[in-house]
Amino acid sequence: MTTSFVLAANERGYNRFLSTGDASSYIAGHPDATVTRYSSFDFGPYQNGRRGFGRMRVFGDELFSGLGCGYNIHRHHNFIICAFVLKGQLTHINTVGNIDQLSAGDYYAFSAGAGGKHSELNLRSEDANIIYIWILPDQLLLPPSYARGRFDAVNERNRLVTLIGNADGALRTGQDIKVSRIASNRALSLEYVLGAEDHGVYVFAIEGQAWVNDTSLSRRDSTGIWGGGKRIKLRTGVEDTDLLIVESAP
Amino acid sequence: MNTEPLKRWMCLGCGFLYDETVGSAEHGLAPGTRWADVPEEWVCPDCGTPKHLFEMVEIPYAPGQPVLRPMV
Repeated sequence: MTTSFVLAANERGYNRFLSTGDASSYIAGHPDATVTRYSSFDFGPYQNGRRGFGRMRVFGDELFSGLGCGYNIHRHHNFIICAFVLKGQLTHINTVGNIDQLSAGDYYAFSAGAGGKHSELNLRSEDANIIYIWILPDQLLLPPSYARGRFDAVNERNRLVTLIGNADGALRTGQDIKVSRIASNRALSLEYVLGAEDHGVYVFAIEGQAWVNDTSLSRRDSTGIWGGGKRIKLRTGVEDTDLLIVESAP
Repeated sequence: MNTEPLKRWMCLGCGFLYDETVGSAEHGLAPGTRWADVPEEWVCPDCGTPKHLFEMVEIPYAPGQPVLRPMV
């Protein structure tokens, strides 16, 4: 049986944090800095009953506005935290030993494992827009690790590219989850083939217009499908379209 | 006597793990303390997430884990 949901951009959870006041130990930046977060699933102060999708727990569409804005260094365990930079520049610092600067198209996977801290900062005056995905690990308390990759939207245009999963050039997490992306500048029609019959797929429209089977998605809309068979029909609009696709085991 | 297997709970705010087998000596919870017996007002010691926002997980440990700390 197919079960699916559609989450319109404006139905997502919305939180706005200031770098001053109650959240000042958590939120970095000058006094006018703000973090805005749109959550597809339950996270932090946003709790609406949709806990995640398969092995994914958090899908946050975040904007760091203002110089130095972001998250001060804080502790994690177990979760594999992935960041996909859409706009601006992100400085990521972690206790694995990385100080990394990521620009649009760059992404990372930080596995907190047995314990790791990280800080996420926008050191520029322009806004930084980042998608954060948290993945449950396949084993608890693994040694912490960090890896980064790059999605080249120009050279890989109109092609479905695996960013995380078992594919050449993709980052491996050990978890039964795959993250793909396609950036198109013309109407495309393709089939997304799932790795297993019992997997589900969550499609998020970063930009543009797309159709997933018969569901229409506009900018920042998303849909999740379980039990839809191994083949999902994807179509993109004639204008620039950018999709992030998360396939997960149940 | 409760014969249910001991379980593991993960904080959905940061990933902190509470294993009923291990307990959390530094937070006053002896090994074997069931999740149900952890006070309702208890929060994640790392990030402050309330107890009801933990999830029971059936994920195996990485080799060599958990590293059990001696009781004091």
